[in-house]
Amino acid sequence: MIDAAEQPSRWTVIEEIRKLPAFLRRDFLVAWTYRLAFVVDWVNLFGQILVFSLVGRLIDPSTLPVIGGEQVTYVEFVVTGIAVTTLLQISLGRVVNATREEQLMGTLEALLMTPTSQWTIQVGLVVYDLVYVPIRTIGIVLIAVLLFDARIHASGMGPAIAILLVFMLFAWGVGMLGAALVMTYRRGVNVLTFATSIVMIGSNAYVPVDVLPSWAAWLAVINPVTFALDGLRGALLGGGGWQDAVDTIVILLPIALISLLVGGMSIKLALARERRRGTLGLY
Amino acid sequence: MVKADTSDALRAPQEKVGEPPVAELQGVSRRFGDRHALRGVSLQIRSGEIRALLGPNGAGKTTLLRVLSGLVQPTTGDVSVEGVKWRDLSEREARRLLGLMPSGDRTFYLRMSGLENLVFFARLHGLSRQAALHRARACLHEVDLEDAARLSVSAYSHGMQKRLSFARAILVDAPLLMIDEATHDLDPASADRVRQLAIDRASSGSAVLWATQRVDEIRGFAHRVTLLHEGLVRFDGSVPQLMAKAPGRTHVVHLREIPGQRKSARAEIARSALESLGSIASPLDPEDDYVVLSLLEGATLGRAVTALESAGLEVLSCREERSDIESAFLALTGGTGR
Repeated sequence: MIDAAEQPSRWTVIEEIRKLPAFLRRDFLVAWTYRLAFVVDWVNLFGQILVFSLVGRLIDPSTLPVIGGEQVTYVEFVVTGIAVTTLLQISLGRVVNATREEQLMGTLEALLMTPTSQWTIQVGLVVYDLVYVPIRTIGIVLIAVLLFDARIHASGMGPAIAILLVFMLFAWGVGMLGAALVMTYRRGVNVLTFATSIVMIGSNAYVPVDVLPSWAAWLAVINPVTFALDGLRGALLGGGGWQDAVDTIVILLPIALISLLVGGMSIKLALARERRRGTLGLY
Repeated sequence: MVKADTSDALRAPQEKVGEPPVAELQGVSRRFGDRHALRGVSLQIRSGEIRALLGPNGAGKTTLLRVLSGLVQPTTGDVSVEGVKWRDLSEREARRLLGLMPSGDRTFYLRMSGLENLVFFARLHGLSRQAALHRARACLHEVDLEDAARLSVSAYSHGMQKRLSFARAILVDAPLLMIDEATHDLDPASADRVRQLAIDRASSGSAVLWATQRVDEIRGFAHRVTLLHEGLVRFDGSVPQLMAKAPGRTHVVHLREIPGQRKSARAEIARSALESLGSIASPLDPEDDYVVLSLLEGATLGRAVTALESAGLEVLSCREERSDIESAFLALTGGTGR
């Protein structure tokens, strides 16, 4: 029998939040068993920046934008693009696949059998990535600074992180929408990957908007990735302060909240549909 | 086999007047497209009771457990836990009342240890890390997996994973424990361990709903049986009541060889001797020492043996060809399984 001291406490928001470290620990323990993959990931990152630095030697610096009164190099320009796009890819990929992976592993039903709110489960499934991905993003910037002579304004780190966190909320919402689609149709990751690629091409991640074809340039104007990158570059490369970051966040935050709302509702509807159909455990 | 009790049924728990059943289904139906998985199923499970949910593959057992656990919504009908309808409970409240041991193996994080898996799920039940650790260790002790606590689950044998799954189901003292096909692919010793764990939980007051297609395991184990077939309840009662549904009893009788007499002649003598009590099937091998005796309704094995002995035949041994439970199961399900 359970001792009185061990009795589960009644549900509160605090109680739900206290469950998140359990997810964090779970994913850390699993990630720890994949140490080689972790090392390979960082080697790949280094290789990616190396390739872009070589490509940068072929690019006329005058085609690159001046940010905060300073002419940026291609490495500086593209490393921020890599940081944001990999953040988007990993966040999206993890959120989309997290629910599906639980379904495939057979653990989704076990999770749903616990007295844990659906929102806690959704956050819990990606909480490790919410912590790890920003660290990885900062790591990308540090590699560029330490090994490829990229110049960044240290004072821009705080505003840049704030922009990235808001951007991650946007990515998370889109990810939940994708997860709901995958849960419903069982396939669809490829469609999502394609859509993500289009969104990244239609942004200023790898080249300035002026260089893009007209359709992609049009997409870039309304693309949250472009807003986030402009803000990030302004902070890190142009030395823009908190006021500039707030200007970016004011645009990004409503988009992120809508994205979260739509994504959360989609997951809720998808789970309800699976329960109605009795196919939650099927894959 | 079950060691706990060799009688036909364990002593049924006393029904307390006015106390609601731990779980109740009323006219529950569930359809998947055109297929009816459950059709108007009603049953009650009481505290301290082990109820076997018996049925062939595709009978609707797992669907019933999933409806009870809220993972699948019933198309029609009501589900109540501790007297409160599912729809009037919040999911979190309902989850505290239920423990589920699913039939599948893949319900754990295989790269984590058994202990860490249990701690994780205990924390999702609202326990603090220290309490979760303490509870997980206690549960591992209960299922005799303490020595394997630090092993990654991927290194667990099938039987160990089943016991770990049981440990997870009892992390909180849920009044209703649902166990789905826990023993269908376990060796006899491992199966017995899991059954013993269920008996222990029932003894401590939990209601246990035990879904199985193994007819041999419910004797001496379950207090009551609900037999499902094609989504319908075909029988609901005690194990002896189920056995009484067996249409006829068949025994394999070993006759002593009589020097100088052909073995086929013995079958003829036996047939004549048992004319009013049953029938003797012709042995497949005329030179066989065994005959198959099917008793008529009302006839007893003792009278049949006496009749054979009176006819000059010596009965060396006699055993049931098929258990009464199995006979009843086949009769009530039309002898089919999918």
